Amino acid sequence: MAFIRRYIPLVTQSLKNVYIGEQRRKIHRWVAPTLMALKSRENKQGGKVINPRNTFLEWNLEAELYAFGKRLSENFDSDLLLQAFTDRSYVIKEEMKQKEMEFDIKMKDNRELAEEGRKFMEQYIQLYLETVLPKFPMEGIASIHNHLTSEKVLANVSLHLGTKDIILADEYPVDNYTLANAFKAIVGALLRSSGEEQAAHFVRDFVITNLQGQDVNEFWHIEDPWTMLTDLIAKTGSKLEPRLIGEVGKNTLLACYRVGLYLDKKMLSSGFGETVATAKEMAAREALKKIFGTEDNMYPINFKLNGIPKSSCNSRYQVSAS
Amino acid sequence: MSAAKRVQQWATFARTWHIFDCKWQDPYQSAHVIKKYLMGMHKPIYHPMNDCGDVVLCINSREVALRGDDWRQRAYFHHTGYPGGATWTLAWEVHNKDPTMIIKKAVYRALKGNLQRRHTMQRLLIYPGEEVPEDIMQNVTNQIRQFRPVPTRLDHIPEDEVKQFPKVMEYPEDYVLK
Repeated sequence: MAFIRRYIPLVTQSLKNVYIGEQRRKIHRWVAPTLMALKSRENKQGGKVINPRNTFLEWNLEAELYAFGKRLSENFDSDLLLQAFTDRSYVIKEEMKQKEMEFDIKMKDNRELAEEGRKFMEQYIQLYLETVLPKFPMEGIASIHNHLTSEKVLANVSLHLGTKDIILADEYPVDNYTLANAFKAIVGALLRSSGEEQAAHFVRDFVITNLQGQDVNEFWHIEDPWTMLTDLIAKTGSKLEPRLIGEVGKNTLLACYRVGLYLDKKMLSSGFGETVATAKEMAAREALKKIFGTEDNMYPINFKLNGIPKSSCNSRYQVSAS
Repeated sequence: MSAAKRVQQWATFARTWHIFDCKWQDPYQSAHVIKKYLMGMHKPIYHPMNDCGDVVLCINSREVALRGDDWRQRAYFHHTGYPGGATWTLAWEVHNKDPTMIIKKAVYRALKGNLQRRHTMQRLLIYPGEEVPEDIMQNVTNQIRQFRPVPTRLDHIPEDEVKQFPKVMEYPEDYVLK
């Protein structure tokens, strides 16, 4: 079809005055072999040639950088933004070229900005998570934080902001590391040009919102929930008691048990499982979720906190330390 | 899939075992109730293409009660496939031969005639009396409510209790009971 579409203008121009009685729905017998032949020729040449958009003649880097800032409604310093998009690999390549041609123009790469952006982002995300998930322990916050600042997430955000073509790197398409690095550098550039609050809101809107629709408990794998729960309960001096409150098809392969956890004879949580042990473990997980304020029916995470939240490290507890 | 989501799925599609006491119940009326449980139509997740049907255990199928003169009037048709192979068996004859047959046929008739029917029927267990194997009885966790209250027969009440029951009047000495 692609072949037909490509040549439709030629055909229609020559057939302008000819009456075409019916709409053609048929794909001709020659289309498939032709496309196959074209494909094999392409493969013989060494695969599909990808022409980077930034090698086109009318590519205007300055305009693209300006538009990039305006698209995000941010006011970037133009030099800083250019620096943020310059990868180390590009600088090395350029220097080699310049050495051959025997002249020297200094170029700055984005390592410094990326480092600055990374530090700011990590600090801010940590504070933000601590504020929106006030009862969640430190280990949990750390694992959510690790997820958000992972290369995969940042590269995804960066790619969809449209940095792929603007990044100056020696390879194309750029890999995830370069994309993530460029994003950190953009945060760094914004930090320098518009101040902390603006940069914080940028990180909030593009990175922290990745938690939308996700279960925060899934980022933190608790190895032994029962021990953790009993340790937490032991501090309060209450009595924890698991009870089998439901079972179905006991002698079948599809057996299902429900275990309820009772704290001072009041129900705390319940869990299901194919064995009593699994059900008890799941009940403990449910109880922990309840204690940490991250149950399935929790209020959605607030993505509208303005400014940089205040740190409140004193009240936060560490589970494994106890 | 996280552990929490996995057990949620497991619990949602758990097969419950129900027990239904057929004593003094109309099999054709009961069949429509049993059918709902067999197909899982009592669940909010019901869909014809999802396997959410439960198991139903019918006991006391020997004690079913047919309407009116049905024991003598109702005929069950069978054809062997050979010429002249048609037979019509009366309900009382079928019941004497196999006390589980009446309720089985009733549920089979209540189900829609599609490819699922025979698989759904596999989940129906029928016992003529109250004796059910122990391992099967252990699975049961729910009871389906009967349609009609089972009346107590006078000859099943102990004689002392009948004698002690308050009377409005005594029959005269010379009164002849029919």
